[in-house]
Amino acid sequence: MAKVDRIQDERLRISMQAAHTSLRAGDHADVVQRAGEAYIELLRRKPELLQGEGFQRQMRIFMFPRLGAHLEVEGGIPVRVAFDRQHFGFTEAVTYYEFAVDNLVREGL
Amino acid sequence: MKFGLFFEHQLPRPYDRDDWDPDAEHQVMKHALDQVELADRLGFDYVFEVEHHFLEEYSHSSAPEVFLAAASQRTKQIRLGHGIALMPPRYNHPARVAERIATLDLVSDGRVEFGTGESASEMELGGFGVPREEKKLMWEEATRECVKMMTQSPYPGYEGAYFGMPPRNVIPKPLQKPHPPLWVASSRRETTMVAARLGMGSLGFAFETPEEAHERVEQYFELVREECTPIGVAINPALAVLSSLSCFETDAEAVEKGKEGTQFFSYSLGYYYSPLGAAHEPSKTHIYRRFIDTPEEQRMGILGGRGFGGFGGGDEEVEPEDEVKRALWRAAKRGGCIGSPDFVRDTLRKYEDAHLDVMIFVAQAGARKHEDVMDSIYRFGTKVLPEFQERHAMHERWRAEQLAGVEFPVNSSI
Repeated sequence: MAKVDRIQDERLRISMQAAHTSLRAGDHADVVQRAGEAYIELLRRKPELLQGEGFQRQMRIFMFPRLGAHLEVEGGIPVRVAFDRQHFGFTEAVTYYEFAVDNLVREGL
Repeated sequence: MKFGLFFEHQLPRPYDRDDWDPDAEHQVMKHALDQVELADRLGFDYVFEVEHHFLEEYSHSSAPEVFLAAASQRTKQIRLGHGIALMPPRYNHPARVAERIATLDLVSDGRVEFGTGESASEMELGGFGVPREEKKLMWEEATRECVKMMTQSPYPGYEGAYFGMPPRNVIPKPLQKPHPPLWVASSRRETTMVAARLGMGSLGFAFETPEEAHERVEQYFELVREECTPIGVAINPALAVLSSLSCFETDAEAVEKGKEGTQFFSYSLGYYYSPLGAAHEPSKTHIYRRFIDTPEEQRMGILGGRGFGGFGGGDEEVEPEDEVKRALWRAAKRGGCIGSPDFVRDTLRKYEDAHLDVMIFVAQAGARKHEDVMDSIYRFGTKVLPEFQERHAMHERWRAEQLAGVEFPVNSSI
């Protein structure tokens, strides 16, 4: 079973399945956008992941790949995906996609 | 499962001096060649050599093509792996990489493994002006074109985002056709999944547990079957991971002779890949002295998430959540294949059960004595390696099942 199918939350699963379709279609920016939104949603639903010392909180945010996109933070909480550029390579899109799917599955969402 | 050695050419400064002995770099190279020669005689399958720049003490291996060329003339069967060649064009023009890989393949009678990657340390990225946020794009473009240079006559030329060149016939061509097996460094799990989708071997420099390796192997081969679009002409479906090797008669002797080197390996790696490394003072910072002067229980604090602000460490018993730091923490904490032949054998069987293709050992690390490294390689090669070689045919059959229906050409040494 593809790992994306192990995402339990229906909305997130559908979004990441759409990201997978975009990956196959070459719409890499859409993949990055969906992966970033999914990760923000994960942190919103699991605020404990952002608790702890400043450094640990920073790492949670910093773990999000910085390959042309990053998370904008307000009050220490990521709120949106910011694009540093509009073009993304295939391997970059895969990196964002796999990062998001892996984190969602690992955290049981 | 196959086995390899991994070389960084680690060279800690002497504790009580600010600089190395004038002959130290010469010695580390000569010793490494002796170690490769021994491994070749014992039946090891691979030697992988890193490319790093400016990472004093951690790695003095900035010209792996030269070292591997020397190794090729002292060995007969061991395969010669770049682990990895830095592909962003500001490090190496893709045509120069293609030329070197092909030449090494010719002088070694077709024994090259073409490992590729980007690097991630600020010392290297900053030293060559490679923007961190674009390094993966650079890698992808350069690797794709480099393989074309090896396989197309003439190479039709290219105008890309990060390099361009007119039509030229890039020569010589490699002996292995269509090209040597392709690998990519996969320090993060995501990159293993990139490797599968591009038909590349995954050089997992992440000290994975057998359970993690098992999961990655399953996902990797699923992607090779279902989503692969090869970056080259032939695919290299393969997964390798890294471990530390210190194999002696007893566990206690193995720990005594191997522990500090393994810890220094992880410590210095963590140093250069943390904010501390970005602030490194070339020719001044004495990493080994800082390592020794830090209480042992705090040394790995630099890798544990709380130690980035210093070497204070903190709660070293808690695994860091971040994948890269967790891998480094484990490398230091668990020690990998450090023990008696029985201990090492039992450890490796778990990876074999996970269908891992290659285990690559860091044998030379820190201030380990050359004689001890040779002894460890010899003991592993004579007391552990043979039984795994005997069982490899079973693994080949398993691989054939995994790759059933995959129609791409394969060039893999597994």
